[in-house]
Amino acid sequence: MTLNRIMHVEDDESIRLVVEMSLVDVAGFELLSCDGGESALQQVVSFAPQLILLDVMMPKMDGLQTLAALREIPHVADIPVVMMTAKIQDAEKQHYLQCGAVAVLNKPFDPMTLGKQLLAIYQQHTSR
Amino acid sequence: MKIPDTPSNESQRLALLRSLLILDTPEETRFDRLTHLVQQCLGSDIVLISLVDQDRQWFKSKQGLEACETGRDISFCGHAILADNILEIPDARQDERFADNPLVTGEPYIRFYAGAPLSIDGYKIGTLCLIDRQPRQMTNSERSILREFADAIEQEIVDRLQEHAHRQLQQREQRYRSVLEGTRIGTWEWNVQTGETVFNERWAEMIGYTLAELAPISIDTWLTLAHPEDLSESGRLLQSHFAGELDFYDYQCRMRHKAGHWIWVHDRGRVISRTEDGQPLMMYGTHADITAAKLAEHALQDSRDQFATLVNNIPGITYRCLPDEQWTMLFMSGSIDPLSGYPASDFINNAERSYASVIHPDDQKMLERAVAKALNAKKGWRLQYRVVHKDGRVRYVEERGQAEYDVDGTVRFLDGFILDVSNEKLLKRQLLKLTEQLPGMVYQFQQWPDGRMTFPYASANIETIYGVTVEQAKQDATPVFEHIVQDDLSGLIESIETSRRDLTLWNHEYRIQNANGEVVWLSGHAMPESLPDGSVLWHGYIDDITHTKQFYLALEAANEQLHLAQQRLELSSRQAQIGYWQASLKTGELWWSPMIYEVFGFDSAITQPSVALFKSTVHPDDLALLEASEEKAKTTGLHDVVHRIIRTDGQIRWVHELAQMVTADNNPELIMIGSVQDVTERMRLQQVKDDFISTVSHELRTPLTSITAALKLILSTQADSLNVTTQKLVNIAFSNGTRLHHLINDLLDVEKLAAGKMSFDIKQQPILPIIEKALADHAAYADKLAISLELRMDDFASNVSIRVDEHRLQQILANLLSNAMKYSAPESAVTIEVGMNGQWLEVAICDHGEGIPDAFRDRIFQRFAQADASSAREKGGTGLGLALCKELVEGMNGEIGFTSTHGIGSRFYVRFLHQPIENF
Repeated sequence: MTLNRIMHVEDDESIRLVVEMSLVDVAGFELLSCDGGESALQQVVSFAPQLILLDVMMPKMDGLQTLAALREIPHVADIPVVMMTAKIQDAEKQHYLQCGAVAVLNKPFDPMTLGKQLLAIYQQHTSR
Repeated sequence: MKIPDTPSNESQRLALLRSLLILDTPEETRFDRLTHLVQQCLGSDIVLISLVDQDRQWFKSKQGLEACETGRDISFCGHAILADNILEIPDARQDERFADNPLVTGEPYIRFYAGAPLSIDGYKIGTLCLIDRQPRQMTNSERSILREFADAIEQEIVDRLQEHAHRQLQQREQRYRSVLEGTRIGTWEWNVQTGETVFNERWAEMIGYTLAELAPISIDTWLTLAHPEDLSESGRLLQSHFAGELDFYDYQCRMRHKAGHWIWVHDRGRVISRTEDGQPLMMYGTHADITAAKLAEHALQDSRDQFATLVNNIPGITYRCLPDEQWTMLFMSGSIDPLSGYPASDFINNAERSYASVIHPDDQKMLERAVAKALNAKKGWRLQYRVVHKDGRVRYVEERGQAEYDVDGTVRFLDGFILDVSNEKLLKRQLLKLTEQLPGMVYQFQQWPDGRMTFPYASANIETIYGVTVEQAKQDATPVFEHIVQDDLSGLIESIETSRRDLTLWNHEYRIQNANGEVVWLSGHAMPESLPDGSVLWHGYIDDITHTKQFYLALEAANEQLHLAQQRLELSSRQAQIGYWQASLKTGELWWSPMIYEVFGFDSAITQPSVALFKSTVHPDDLALLEASEEKAKTTGLHDVVHRIIRTDGQIRWVHELAQMVTADNNPELIMIGSVQDVTERMRLQQVKDDFISTVSHELRTPLTSITAALKLILSTQADSLNVTTQKLVNIAFSNGTRLHHLINDLLDVEKLAAGKMSFDIKQQPILPIIEKALADHAAYADKLAISLELRMDDFASNVSIRVDEHRLQQILANLLSNAMKYSAPESAVTIEVGMNGQWLEVAICDHGEGIPDAFRDRIFQRFAQADASSAREKGGTGLGLALCKELVEGMNGEIGFTSTHGIGSRFYVRFLHQPIENF
């Protein structure tokens, strides 16, 4: 199955822009950028992404809380979530995976290869 | 009137008369019947048996007269006893001898008198006389009758006397018999010729029978009951007695008692009559039970034998001698033989030699003087002197003796006892030598009831210790006490008093001041003994313990220091919240310091330390972590882990456990010591720090992410639209953004390692793919720097696998490769060598750069160490790479190192224990 629709949740506007350029301009995906968990929860059903790229450290509702809330929504629960974090502690990464993330990506990331990485993760996930 | 004459044999006559025991006896029928018959036959008025005594005539029997006696001077009978025939006076009035006799002129008016003399054994003792008051003439027939009656009376008198004698004999026999019966003596009578034998009841009783039981009794009765072994000797003695060789038959023999045992009998008898031809006829004798005496005699004999044995066996010699110069021996026991080499018999009465001859010549005068002095004082003596043995050896003896005196005080004998004390002397000498060898002083200390004190014995060291001579101490002990240090004196006296009162062992340590003014520590031990005179004698030993005491005091001081150190440790452990424990893996004993109880929240008063108790407190999530550390400690000997515990009050605390086995050389009990530190606060701070780092890294990376991603997008998608200068500037910005990124990553890695939070995903894996990937990853960079990357790998190494975290090993290789390339000149080669080095698989990165400057070599693996800061900036290093490599290599149990030659190049290597691939 081909990956087209990606939802990106990130409070930092600069990163939202860089990711948008990377995934839309470089990789050619259809992207919905949300500036926080609440926004994502409001739009996830209507946008119906195939993959959600979720930042961990966000004000108000952080990545894990957003992930938990997403898991509560029918049909959304099955959408693979990839966490993106600047925290590189292994224990934290393991924790995210245990909470349901399918992969954890580090910041900073390479904007030229981010799309390829997500595609690979998505394909790996959907082929299971 | 004529007074009768006295017969010529008057005195014998009177003696005989009195021996007849008839005078003044009562009337007796035997005589009265005869006088009455005479009166009837001869028709006289008066008939008398008159016995003429010295001054009177006494009538044994009288008929027709009341008087019982008259004077001899007026008696007719006094005249009658002078003639052999009857004196007949027909008419007294007509006879001038009697005419004026008052018995004629007065009552009873005698006219006729006829007296027939009564003769016994030829002596005329009196008459049988007739008296009439009328004159009368007797016929011959009447005279004859009177004479016959007189004869009959003579016979009666003799018979009477015999009867009396017989009666007396009977009484005497009765008396003897009574006496015999009263004793335990049996009697026997034996007719030697017929064998007829009479025993009394006592004889039978002696052997447990009655006579009736033994009947019929004959000599066979005795023969049957006597001991068979005694019969022949009995027979021999009997024959000797019969033959007149022995006055008595006297023999002690055994007889069988009815109860079966043997009794001892003393049999004694004699022949009392013989037959006409001289053969023994009757033999009388006694039997006495002498069993008790015999037993006593045997016992006495036994005692004598024992005494003799004893005297011969006692080690000493007993003697009795005369008080002369030669000590002339009257008795000497056999023990002189081993002492002198001569038998005792030699010395008796100086038969062969005198006792003086064996006394050592040098000791003779002393001995004589001492004995003489003792004799003068009438006292005993106790002396030591030497005796010269036959073989020339000298023996030491101790003699105790005393004299026996006459009533007048003259010495009769000297009695004494001589004991060979050579061995004791030798032992004493040895003992003295030994005591002189002892470092301390051996002594006897005596305290009298009046408070006097002396040292009856003290070895020579008393002078060394107290500065008092042995002789001085023997006289008076007080100088010794003058040396005691004043502060210790009362305690010493008290301890002696306690020992004296309770008779308990005296043990005391005290100080004295010696002659040089130095203080010396002494230790004394003595056993008290109560003496009959009320004094107490101690036997003991005093030793100079100054050195020991100094050590002890030093030890005490050290202990005090240790105590202080412990207190300091206690204080600091309290401040640092560190508790200590010690466990013996051999005995299972476990000790906890007070802080441990506090950290774990246990009440030390009621808690028994145990491994199980400790384990029960470990947080369930950390149990695996703890056990892993314990497992690791088995090989490394070091247990080092931080984990959580749940206290009894429910609080969760972090503790840092550190434990180590005490070095095996000095640890037979397998002692393990360890500490437990409450690091909850540290962990909290750590968490804060982690959060901070986490936050910082996030906060740094977030903008960095935007910056580098934006620059990368520009360089990748917009490069063509930028002029050269702009493109250069963007490149610089991107390169530094990347460098900042690496710096942050390295910093975080180093922090993780330092905090022990770096986790390794160690797996057994072949080395070849790891190396190939590293080469591939760096190929582009090498191209960019015009460096040729070369691989040298031997066949064996290419098949080896190692236990590593691949990601971390790649990180290490990346650091080393990038360093090598950075410091290599363009167009040069960087070589990766993979090979074996003993047990190790070694991966080395070799460059041909300038090499490591000498000054930098020691610091090369330190953080932020770079040979030249400017070069670092030029080369784009963080200064953390090699430090990080070292931590990572060691975290995977490997080794890292380098060799470098200035101007030629450097070789950095990492090593890991290898295993051939086939084995995993």
